[in-house]
Amino acid sequence: MNLKKQFKEGLITQNPVLVQLLGMCSTMAITTSIANAIGMGISVTIILTLSNIFISLLRKIIPNEVRIACYIVVIAGFVTMVDLSLQAFFPDLAKSLGVFIPLIVVNCIILGRAEAFANKNTVLASAVDGICQGIGYTLVLIIMSAFRELFGAGKLYGFQIMPAGYTPALLLILPVGGFLCLGVLIAIMQWALDKSAKKKAEKEAAEK
Amino acid sequence: MKLSAKFMLKVAGTLTLICLVVSALLGAVNNVTAPKIAAINEENTKLALSNVAASPESDFQPIDLTDDMVAAASAQGAKLTEAYTVLNGGEAVGYAFKVVAGGSQGDIEMIVGVDSDNAVTGVSVVNNKETAGIGSKVMGNETLPSGVGVLDQFVGKSGAGSLAVKVNVDAISGATVSSKGVTKGVNGALAAAEVMG
Repeated sequence: MNLKKQFKEGLITQNPVLVQLLGMCSTMAITTSIANAIGMGISVTIILTLSNIFISLLRKIIPNEVRIACYIVVIAGFVTMVDLSLQAFFPDLAKSLGVFIPLIVVNCIILGRAEAFANKNTVLASAVDGICQGIGYTLVLIIMSAFRELFGAGKLYGFQIMPAGYTPALLLILPVGGFLCLGVLIAIMQWALDKSAKKKAEKEAAEK
Repeated sequence: MKLSAKFMLKVAGTLTLICLVVSALLGAVNNVTAPKIAAINEENTKLALSNVAASPESDFQPIDLTDDMVAAASAQGAKLTEAYTVLNGGEAVGYAFKVVAGGSQGDIEMIVGVDSDNAVTGVSVVNNKETAGIGSKVMGNETLPSGVGVLDQFVGKSGAGSLAVKVNVDAISGATVSSKGVTKGVNGALAAAEVMG
C-alpha cells in the first residue's frame, strides 16, 4: 500500500471526475452552491468508503458471476442509509440535494471503484482509496460550485460577495453553465497533465 | 457452462444472504430516522399552513377530499392534494388547500388559504423547481413594482377562474410562466372552496 501514491491518484492523476470522467451528471447538477457541493461531496465520500470497505471484506465470498448484483445491493443499502439520515438530521441539505442523493446508487464512481479497486485489494487499501477518491470528487465539486456561485449568484456559501451593482451571470447557475464549467475544467486538467508528462519525458531523455 | 446444484446454491445463497443483511441494517436505520422525518414533514406543513391563515393562532383540521372539489380544482388547471379546515378558537373561519400546478420547470406545490367569504388569505409555496434567479423570485415572494409581494398580491382576491396574469395579477418580469403557475393554483383553490360553499 502506498498512501502518497493513492492520494495523488485520487486528487490529480486519477481524479474521478476530471480524468476518469465518472459521476459527471451529479457534478453538473448540484454545483450551483458551495453548501450543496460540500454536502454532496461528504455524502459520496462516506458511501464510497463504506462500500469499498465492505466489498473488499466480501471479495473472497462473492461469486464472480453475481458480483455486480452484490455490489449494487451493498451500495444501494449505504445510499439509502445516508439518504434517510440526511432527511432526519439535515432536512435543508436533503431538500436542496433532492433526487441526487438516491441517485448516488447509480453514480459510476462508486461502482467503478468497487470493480476496479476494492475487489482486488485489502480492506485498508480500499478504505484509503475510498477516502482519496472521495476527496478528489469533493474538491472538483467545490472548485466548480465556488466559481458558479460567485459569478452566477454573486455569493459564496450564501454570503453576498459581489458589490450590489453586480448583475449575476444567470447562465452559470443554469444547466448550460454546468456543462461549460466542467468542460473548461477538464480541458485545463488535461493540459496540465499533458504538460507534466512531457516535462518528465524530457528530463528522462536529458539524463540519458 | 455446466450448472451444478452446488454452484447455483452458492451463487443464489450468497446474494440472498447479502440482501438479507443489508435489509436488516436498513430496517434498523429506518427505525431511528422514520419518526424524525415524519416530525419534520409535519412541522413544515404546519409552518406553511400558519403562513396562509389570516390569524397566526389558527388550528388546522384535515378534511377528506371529495370528487367535486378535485374536479373543480382541475378545471382551473390545478391538482388538489390536501384540504384543511382553518379553526380559530374552535370556530371554522375558512379553508386551506394544498394544490399543485405546473410552473416553468416542473410542478409548483403551494398552500392557499381561503376565508369563509371565499377570498384568498395567503399563498405559500412549499416545493418548486423554478429556475434559480428567475422563477425563484416568484417563489420567494419578491416585491412587485407596485410595492406588494408577488404572492401577497393574491390576498383578498376572489372568484375562481377570474384571476389571470396581466389582467388582475402582476407577474415578475421574465417569470411570467412561474407567475401563471401560481395563479393557476390559486384559481384551483378558490374553485375548491366555492364547491364547499
